[in-house]
Amino acid sequence: MPRSSNPANRKEGIAGYVFLSPWLLGLMGITAIPMLGSLVLSFTNYDLLSDWSELEWVGFDNYTRMFADDPHYLDAVGVTVIFALVAVPLKLAAALGVALLLNKERRGTGIFRGLFYLPSLLGGSVALALVWRAMWSKDGAVNAFLALFGIEGLNWINEPDWALETLVVLAIWQFGAPMVIFLAGLKQVPNELYEAAAVDGATKWRSFWHITLPGLSPVIFFNLVLETINGFQGFTSAYVVSGGTGGPVDSTLMYTLYLYQSGFTDYEMGYASAMAWVFLIAIALITATLFSTGKFWVHYGDGQ
Amino acid sequence: MHRAASSHVTSRRTLLLGALSLPVLAACGTDSGNQPEPESTAPVELSVFWWGSESRAKATEEALKLYTAKYPFVTFKTTWQGNQGYYDKLATLAAGGNAPDIFQIDDGALSEYAERNVTLDLTSYKEKNKLDVSKFPESLWKYAEVDGKLAGVPTGENTPGMIYDKQLCQELGVPEPKTGMSWEELIAWGEQVYTKSGGKVLGTMDPSADYKALWVWLRQQGKELYGKKAMAVSKEDLIKWFDLWKGARDRKAAPTADIIHEANAGDVTKQLVVTGKAATSFLWANQLSDTQKLTKRTLGVVAYPGDPKGQWARAAMYFSVARSSERKDRAVDVINFLVNSPEVGKLWGADRGLSSNMDVRKGVADGLTDKVTKEAFAFETDLASKFGQAPPVPPKGHVKVRQLLTTHAESVQYGKATSAEAAEAFLKEADAALK
Repeated sequence: MPRSSNPANRKEGIAGYVFLSPWLLGLMGITAIPMLGSLVLSFTNYDLLSDWSELEWVGFDNYTRMFADDPHYLDAVGVTVIFALVAVPLKLAAALGVALLLNKERRGTGIFRGLFYLPSLLGGSVALALVWRAMWSKDGAVNAFLALFGIEGLNWINEPDWALETLVVLAIWQFGAPMVIFLAGLKQVPNELYEAAAVDGATKWRSFWHITLPGLSPVIFFNLVLETINGFQGFTSAYVVSGGTGGPVDSTLMYTLYLYQSGFTDYEMGYASAMAWVFLIAIALITATLFSTGKFWVHYGDGQ
Repeated sequence: MHRAASSHVTSRRTLLLGALSLPVLAACGTDSGNQPEPESTAPVELSVFWWGSESRAKATEEALKLYTAKYPFVTFKTTWQGNQGYYDKLATLAAGGNAPDIFQIDDGALSEYAERNVTLDLTSYKEKNKLDVSKFPESLWKYAEVDGKLAGVPTGENTPGMIYDKQLCQELGVPEPKTGMSWEELIAWGEQVYTKSGGKVLGTMDPSADYKALWVWLRQQGKELYGKKAMAVSKEDLIKWFDLWKGARDRKAAPTADIIHEANAGDVTKQLVVTGKAATSFLWANQLSDTQKLTKRTLGVVAYPGDPKGQWARAAMYFSVARSSERKDRAVDVINFLVNSPEVGKLWGADRGLSSNMDVRKGVADGLTDKVTKEAFAFETDLASKFGQAPPVPPKGHVKVRQLLTTHAESVQYGKATSAEAAEAFLKEADAALK
């Protein structure tokens, strides 16, 4: 029987939408409509300050300018890709490593889990980035530590070849969130498999490689997708550490930071909107690629 | 019957009241015609937004209180913050249609806002004498004109000033820098500072990424930084400029790129005279007191090297009124009060530049007790006679150009590009930003 012919069902459907309406209103008002607005603006010379009457349609100018006529844009793309390529795998490796260590129930593991998770709680906070900036400056804590071993440290955040690396280290340090998810995933791997492997005389390494990793692959996949998207969107640390400039010499000019500068410092909001859309499409493509590789290495326990 | 009589009475009373109030209203009308005061006395709240230090905030609040004391029905909603991020916030407010009634702005952004018609054109107020600039030097209020529109009111006059560590000169036994010394002499001096301090103080700041130093240097040669919708500076001059400072760094007369970069961010607390890493900082004359507050060492101020006629009487900053404001007349009157009141002048000292109103300035100078402010005042008053003619206000796109110069000058400092490569890339991008 078709659903709509049952009045009770239809009523329930309406009630569902009524209950959903706060979320729907939020989605439309805060996400969907502004996004469409920015799509329209990306084809204009919108500059934030001028009267709407000054708005001009510029076609694909903003889009061609990005790739043909803006070296700083290409710098920003390069910085972001390097950041994501380096920070994401290292962060996941750190998260998995620590999760494995904390998986066994010993005295105090609870405390350690909490401690390792702490940096993530602070997340992308400005305060943390400020501390980071102080730590990695010429006379900061990192160099004081290196001096104990007689090493004279660099002016890390003010060297174009090193500034981005300090941000990578900051990102890796905040591995708590994927770690907690890994911990949960590890609990899901059936213990019988390990017992069977032990009976067969498998080494620890072999059981990690053949049981833990495949069993954990859905969780790894989930973390990978999430962290990749996060990695591309890094903003706060770059903004704070470079004082909003993306310097020295564009070395910390993350994509979102350049987007922000274009919109709010250079008043080129149309151009910034176009950048945002290219960014959205790029992230969508990367995520789709990750999903398409999933079938080769992600194993779901239910045999699918 | 009864009802009719009552309504009759009422209407007669209304008439009577109306007739009585007519002359009063008329009187109000003529009154406001003569005096530069807005008519309404209904309670009104004006929003005011500025950047600056805590002491500026305190002095500004007190000045606004003086206005409220005069007109108790006018109150203020004030917002202030540090330099960094100020314009991001102002642009966001303006874009959202919430521009503050009165906001502080400097010549870096004035054209950006004026050409986009965010600021109210104050010309008619000036002509009706509701905004009194008659006691201002003409070149100063004219420095607020963009495309023939008066986009703001200069709060005070200011000029580039090289702030240096006076105490260090005495300790090391090197002569203090002097107004009128050449750029070469400054670099030689920087080398001396480096040697005599045993490499502890890294000579002079390298201002090659600083548009105002480049601009003054060009003007000393009779050239300009900006042309019409394009850069006026030539590639050859830029190369010379970058090379001049590359030479200085090679001689260890200036710090290494990473140290210069710390100061280039613009934050006053990171300036090298404050952190003690170098003996000079290229700032504005009115920043002597701000920097002095941040260090125990005694600082001094001189003009940028070269002929001081390359410098000009620049508006330190302006107050502008938002064109979207619903209280324009009142906002203009408040600004008129702030820039012309001797009491406000005394409260502010040289914090927003030397008072624009010459009478106020004289009063401030006479009443100065603070040694540092006195010195900044004396320096600029003395320099005023040597000023060259002011160039037009920096054009729309200046903010971007400023950032581009920093990026490309730094790429030379870090050895990532040659002077010629940086000059060429900078000009190409800067010209595009000015279109």
